[in-house]
Amino acid sequence: MKRRSFLKNGALASLSLPFVQNGLSMQAVAKKLFDVPKSAEDKVLVIIRMNGGNDGLNMVFPTDQYSELMVQRANILIPENQILPLTPAVGLHPKMTGMQTLFNEGKLSVIQNVGYPQANRSHFRSMDIWTTGALDINQTSGWLGRYFDSAYPNFPDDYPNVDYPDPFAISLGSEVSTTCQGLMGNFSHTVSNPFNASNLLLTSVTNDGTYYGGQIEYISTLINQTNEYGQQISGAASSGNSLSNLYDPNNPLAVQLKYVAQMISGGLKTKVYILNVGGFDTHDAQVDQNNVSEGVHADLLLRISDAVSAFQHDLQLLGLEQRVAGFTFSEFGRQVASNGSFGTDHGDAAPLLMFGSCISNGIVGSNPVIANQVNNQAGIDMQIDFRDIYASILKDWFEVDPNVIQSLFEQNITYYDLLQGCTNSILEKDPSNSQGALVYPNPSLGQHHLKFMAQSERYEIFLIDQQGRVQAKVLDQHLIQGEQNLSFEVHNLATGTYYYLIKSLHYQELVGFQKQ
Amino acid sequence: MTPYSGPWTAVEAAHLLRRCTFGATFQEIEDAVNAGMATSVNQLFSPSLTDDPLAYDTAEQIVNLGETWVNAVYPQDNTANQQTEGARMKSLGAWIAKNLNQENLTLTEKMLFFWQNHFGVTSSGDARAMYQYLQLLRQHALGNVKQLVKDVSVDPCMLLFLNGSTNTVYSPNENYGRELLELFTVGKGPQLAAGDYSTFTEQDVAAAAKIFTGNIVQGVRSATLNQVTSTFMPILHDNTTKTLSYHFANQSITGNGVMEYADYIDVVFNQNDTALAICRKLYRYFVNYEITPWVEQNVIADMAQTFAANNFEIAPVLIELLSSEHFYDISMRGAIIKSPLEMLLTMLNTSETTANFDLQSTYQIYLSMYGLADQMGQAYAAPPSVAGWTAYYQAPAFYRLWINSTYIKKRFDVANLLTSNLYNVNGNVFKIQVLDLLNGLSVPYSAPQVIDDLCLVLFPKDIPAADKLLIKNILTNGLPDFEWTIQYNDYLSDPTNPVFYTPVESRMQAVLNVMFKMPQFHVC
Repeated sequence: MKRRSFLKNGALASLSLPFVQNGLSMQAVAKKLFDVPKSAEDKVLVIIRMNGGNDGLNMVFPTDQYSELMVQRANILIPENQILPLTPAVGLHPKMTGMQTLFNEGKLSVIQNVGYPQANRSHFRSMDIWTTGALDINQTSGWLGRYFDSAYPNFPDDYPNVDYPDPFAISLGSEVSTTCQGLMGNFSHTVSNPFNASNLLLTSVTNDGTYYGGQIEYISTLINQTNEYGQQISGAASSGNSLSNLYDPNNPLAVQLKYVAQMISGGLKTKVYILNVGGFDTHDAQVDQNNVSEGVHADLLLRISDAVSAFQHDLQLLGLEQRVAGFTFSEFGRQVASNGSFGTDHGDAAPLLMFGSCISNGIVGSNPVIANQVNNQAGIDMQIDFRDIYASILKDWFEVDPNVIQSLFEQNITYYDLLQGCTNSILEKDPSNSQGALVYPNPSLGQHHLKFMAQSERYEIFLIDQQGRVQAKVLDQHLIQGEQNLSFEVHNLATGTYYYLIKSLHYQELVGFQKQ
Repeated sequence: MTPYSGPWTAVEAAHLLRRCTFGATFQEIEDAVNAGMATSVNQLFSPSLTDDPLAYDTAEQIVNLGETWVNAVYPQDNTANQQTEGARMKSLGAWIAKNLNQENLTLTEKMLFFWQNHFGVTSSGDARAMYQYLQLLRQHALGNVKQLVKDVSVDPCMLLFLNGSTNTVYSPNENYGRELLELFTVGKGPQLAAGDYSTFTEQDVAAAAKIFTGNIVQGVRSATLNQVTSTFMPILHDNTTKTLSYHFANQSITGNGVMEYADYIDVVFNQNDTALAICRKLYRYFVNYEITPWVEQNVIADMAQTFAANNFEIAPVLIELLSSEHFYDISMRGAIIKSPLEMLLTMLNTSETTANFDLQSTYQIYLSMYGLADQMGQAYAAPPSVAGWTAYYQAPAFYRLWINSTYIKKRFDVANLLTSNLYNVNGNVFKIQVLDLLNGLSVPYSAPQVIDDLCLVLFPKDIPAADKLLIKNILTNGLPDFEWTIQYNDYLSDPTNPVFYTPVESRMQAVLNVMFKMPQFHVC
């Protein structure tokens, strides 16, 4: 199923842009409005690590096997009528309404039964496998670290530089990401708060007035001064923007994703953002005994679903949707059968969620097969190798040469169609797709006309000056397929060069005119 | 000095060992707790020997690889001679780092470096001479300082370094005499008048120059002599009577040939300023950079008195200092910024990480360690000047001079390198043995205890509980503590299985990486 076939335009059309912002942020928005992803260089990947082993069967439900699930995990199983349907055979946890909406909008993929051969149920070993992207015990670099090494040799010695002033990856929090460990350095830069990104320190440093206090204060000041990326990040965050009001300030992941949106919209060239949500190691009390739809796991899923849907909403408002994609992963799923403590123990494969407006398919892979009797310690069998998912992301999203990709991985790669939803829809990539926008008369004095061919979808049209500043949003509505001929009054505009930016989900064009 | 009589716990023991060694293990701290303060301090004065440096670089053209070059001639051919010297200096640098890394739990290496800084000698063209000189410092490192100064005064390496080898009755050279007074003994005070430095005058410099005349050095990079030696030549010595300034009560040094320099050094050591100057340096090295009037009166004065009363044996002074209330005072903890070598070696020695590979790889790794310290501002065999490293004397910054924006970045690079698996020499990976470190802690399967123990070993003061939690979360990867226990026990049950030890190792590497980058690690 291609994404367009299940696109729901209604949800999009109901949104409006709160465009009255301060000038600085406005510029950043305008800059981004031009910023169609011309190449893989502009693509951003967001990785959300669900730490502890996520119970996939309590997140994505094979609803066609509900009775088998009841055999396996009756004490934690959510009532069938509360499960949010995605397809007739697949449903989501009831807390994940945000992600259900994303799915319906064609912005969420469920990739089924992701794992690797001969699953290891040690958190630590399995997380190393997932972050290195390799089963080989001797592999110590991360899968993205290897990619970065191939694309940006001589790191870290030659970086940052004029062409690459920003960190390649940002790890939100205090620990650099193993995923980004390269041969000679780690490509990820830790950021706790991008508005104060000069602060590299993990822990508190207070000068208590002793010699010791004076020394550690001195050292910590120097450490922060040495942070080459600090200014870049803080600058981007403060000139960036966030337009969604859906972020819950009490949801740490939402707060961090809002930071990510601000950094991207502020023009930071960072390609990868890594976020971490802990607490998935739900051996006991995974669900509330009295209400299995509530509990620890439900809260975690709610956080992820809400945060990601707020983020996606923000990206849409910022005009950045086509530049950003993301996915979640966990070191393993949990066992099919629940335990007596209303929890689940370490298992094997689990579904992985991918989000973004450029996803290719809603559901990748088929439902796991749930046995009709309890088989102690059984996990979910792997259907899709996570290393192939990584490889496919590198191919679809960063457009890495398949020969290079193969050199980064140990397995013979099987590619999946994951992030090709936007590939052929961007005007700049396919000139024949030009919708022939034209302003007449040009130069203009008073009233003039903007003519272009529209598809049946929501359009936004911005009037932008030569400095890239948005002067006005002149249109925001769902258009019917066919030639449009809109008329605008421009006699109030100062003399100069202006542009109309015509934007839809699949189309973007800039057309200029002179005001006399 | 008031002796320390407070509690003797791991905190005090760790403080003692941090200040006196290049890194103690958790077990060594525990042992010191059990031994008590007096025994622990006394044990620091045990003798410490070292093997000779070995030839490992193929540019060495006289001895076989694996043999020592310290008593070997140089090639006749000029190019081969230079290449051999290069090979020997590399061997010497590696050997220096190796000794620091493989130190016994004694003060020897710490005091050896103290003297290397004190005399500020840079190698003068013959690795054998530098080796002999360092062995001379080692021999006296914990011994008699007056004898050390006497021996250094006629050591070939020093004679070459401060022009003693060309100081003759015909052309006296003041270089050594001046530095002896200004830096090695009485020290320089405020200038009272032209040529009068409170503790000595230009008259004393001129007299000292004459007193030290007459030594020649032979054998530098010689193809026939297997040692660099100094010889006293009576014909080159100024045997006249020299009169010292009023600071020395206008004493006369009568011509006494080969023994005259020793007579003079006895006189210099009779000056109370000598004991005071050396004790101030010891204080800055072991306690704190700031010498307040209180410290001058109550600590330095006592040290100097003990020093003189024991005929300038260093051990009684240090034992008194290291057993004093002042040394263990809470306000002195963490006052010192670790030198590059202290930082680097602490990373290795707290886990007893050593390079034990084939000769070439081992020496290459140790030479790299020497080079890393050099890049952070501390090339052991090449102090920036005869005054030593500025961090030990330059007011008001003192130890802060070890850290600037370049050096802190380098310190972080070193932390990254040694907590990774990336440093590979001829197929041998050199990295901190984090599993040994972990297994030596009190309760390695307990995540909170692991962090507590690591803080004790690596930080001079305890850090807030909230900060420990952050570090613990790195160890456990954010999981509940029991998951760490399971993982550690799995590893213990099958310790050679990489599937079990690799994750434990990578978590410990992540923890150390973060701790090494905390400001608290860089002070001691």
